[in-house]
Amino acid sequence: MKTIRTDVLIVGGGGAGFRAAIAARQANAETLLVSKGPLARCGASPMAGADLTCHGLGMRQAGFFGEPRDSEEKFFSDIVHQGCFLNDQPLAERFVRDGPQRLIETLEWGCEPYLCDERAIFTSGVGIVDAHLSEARRLGTSFLDDTAVLELIVHDGQVCGAVGLDIRSGEILRFDCHAVVLATGGWHKAYTPVTGSKELTGDGVAMAYRAGAKVANMEFVTFACNVPVWPPVWRGSIVTYAMSLMCGGTLENANRERFLDQYDPETVAIASSTEWNKSFFSFATAREIRAGRGTPHGGVYYVTGDTPWPEFEARALRSYPDWKVKGADFSELGRMLRDGEGVEVAGAAEYFEGGVLVDDRFASSVPGLFAAGECAMSLFGANRVAAATMEMLVSGAIAGTAAGEFAQSHPSSEPPEDRVRTATEAIEAPLRKPSGHGIGHLRHDLQEAASAMLGPVRCGEELEAFLRMLEDARSDRLPNLGLSTTTRSYNKEWIESLEIENLLLVLELSARAALERTESRGVHYREDHPITDNDGWLREIVMSPNRDGVHVEHRPVRVTSLRPPSGTQPYLEMVREMMCAHSDVGGHH
Amino acid sequence: MNETIRFRIRRSPADGGAGNGYQEYDVPFTRGMSVMDGLDYIYEHLDGSLAYYDHAACNQGICRRCLARIDGQTGLLCQTLVTADTTVEPIPTQDVERDLVTKRGRDRNG
Ligand SMILES: Cc1cc2nc3c(=O)[nH]c(=O)nc-3n(C[C@H](O)[C@H](O)[C@H](O)COP(=O)(O)OP(=O)(O)OC[C@H]3O[C@@H](n4cnc5c(N)ncnc54)[C@H](O)[C@@H]3O)c2cc1C
Ligand code: FES
Repeated sequence: MKTIRTDVLIVGGGGAGFRAAIAARQANAETLLVSKGPLARCGASPMAGADLTCHGLGMRQAGFFGEPRDSEEKFFSDIVHQGCFLNDQPLAERFVRDGPQRLIETLEWGCEPYLCDERAIFTSGVGIVDAHLSEARRLGTSFLDDTAVLELIVHDGQVCGAVGLDIRSGEILRFDCHAVVLATGGWHKAYTPVTGSKELTGDGVAMAYRAGAKVANMEFVTFACNVPVWPPVWRGSIVTYAMSLMCGGTLENANRERFLDQYDPETVAIASSTEWNKSFFSFATAREIRAGRGTPHGGVYYVTGDTPWPEFEARALRSYPDWKVKGADFSELGRMLRDGEGVEVAGAAEYFEGGVLVDDRFASSVPGLFAAGECAMSLFGANRVAAATMEMLVSGAIAGTAAGEFAQSHPSSEPPEDRVRTATEAIEAPLRKPSGHGIGHLRHDLQEAASAMLGPVRCGEELEAFLRMLEDARSDRLPNLGLSTTTRSYNKEWIESLEIENLLLVLELSARAALERTESRGVHYREDHPITDNDGWLREIVMSPNRDGVHVEHRPVRVTSLRPPSGTQPYLEMVREMMCAHSDVGGHH
Repeated sequence: MNETIRFRIRRSPADGGAGNGYQEYDVPFTRGMSVMDGLDYIYEHLDGSLAYYDHAACNQGICRRCLARIDGQTGLLCQTLVTADTTVEPIPTQDVERDLVTKRGRDRNG
């Protein structure tokens, strides 16, 4: 087994990982970044549109027009209202404060903006990650791609290493280190369609939890609205999501009724013109589908609505010349919109608020273990409108600095051999099972079930059924599934066997938290509890492993300057109130 | 209805590619499916040993890790539509890791 030594091990090759690597190198720590997929071409980061948000004064500092009436206080207040007061306020303050500097350096490192508005620049996710990757390289970070870190080793009360797998060769790798930054993103592959790249299987959150770390807010999942569910080649693309923000359009159910008309017009108008679109339209879409008014492939129709075709087309072509988006051709989609057929779309899992519980330095509850980006608990609370791409940079920078300093002030002992052996055996266990394939099939079933029962609209009965299904998968189906081949080289079934353990764990934690939260707030809507309960539920659900399974605690949200509301109110009233509390600053955020 | 199309896939010698090096699979046809969708069907239902670069596939034409020879032309598995029987081979100028996965573009200095 190959052993690689470093001060700081960064797990994840997206924006959070690169920004953490830069900070760890600036703190003079030897830094190795390991990515499960190709550097800067995997995870969610390069798939993003992307917006990079910052308050108007910061925009001006960075050389954009910005909104002079804006302030840190206004941006903070908007973020906390959008998060329905479940935000961790100290972290949200950091987000607001550090944004301008993160924006300025991103531009300095070579990222080009296309457009800007009052509170954001618009660029590509690829542009953001490429700029950070080249800076991380320049500062002397080491890299390993197509390699998964699969288990953390904790010894003497701190993280001291990890064990992983080179996916192409099948070689087991051992990492000895003094601090770890997890930057592994979300668990998009638990759902269908998959919007992020396919290696996002909650590995970091699952590893951290197994190592004893607390996780929080696991019930909250943001679904991007208006994502094509058909034909297969377009599934999971965000092209119609972005189009609906830029060009307008509306949604129709299977009976060709414009079902948004049944909602408060002001709510619909705000959702249409801002990034509230994700939560509100995904919620409204899920309700139509659940009421039996879905299209043949389980969506609703996205149509041009009141926007005349020439105007719609002109706006679409401005961003997507020739209806081409990167390597993909959407001219047939343009035709379907022009001819009024519409495109079958639905909400698709895009962003995971839940993750490793972190303190002000993005340290987890396990010494030496840090988390940044999407795999850390979100600072956006119950609903995100501002940019996750900025969140990954802000948190990456803080976590990287903290890990770099920790590694040098708290050298760990070497990982004990027996612990490394146990982890290695667990990774190799699937190779030794009797043959009999079907792991892909099981994952497919889980994706369908999660999308149906742990989507934007939930109810207690379904969540319980879903938890029973997960238990069945774990105790009955998984043990009987072997591999079709025991080759070590790029063995998809082997990789999926390891991933599925993590998917089962994060889905279980998410479903349990969704069941526990007997109210509706932000992106979590309970049909059987359609009330937002500010007296009972301004609390985060925090989970950690204990001897009998999952230990659940409730942590009151940390408040700095914005006092949360009290009382209870119907979900849609709360949504409307939070939307309308927005400051006088325009733009999409 | 229930049309099928035949995929002819170049495999590595140890993985069913003995003989002429190709293995054939019949896959249900859906209008608007990509070559990648066909391979996913084969992997899930017919042959879990098939290797193609998919563990970190973006499926959106962004990562370009799914480049292969499709009916003799270089293209992205995830963006090339299937319309008839299809032959899939690794890019000929690159060393093969296994089946359709090549050693292309590896990035490591660790
Ligand atoms: C399609 C799409 C569009 C989006 N658009 C926007 C947008 O316009 N604006 C916005 O603000 N946000 C957007 N988001 C959300 C935003 O992109 C993400 O929240 C953010 O990029 C997360 O960055 P990250 O670095 O934390 O994780 P990711 O970018 O997801 O990176 C995770 C990394 O961890 C690696 N990894 C995972 N498991 C392991 C393991 N076991 N071992 C080693 N490495 C591992 C992955 O390979 C990957 O390199 C979008 C998300 C999606 C899916
Ligand atoms: S899978 Fe990324 S380009 Fe095809």
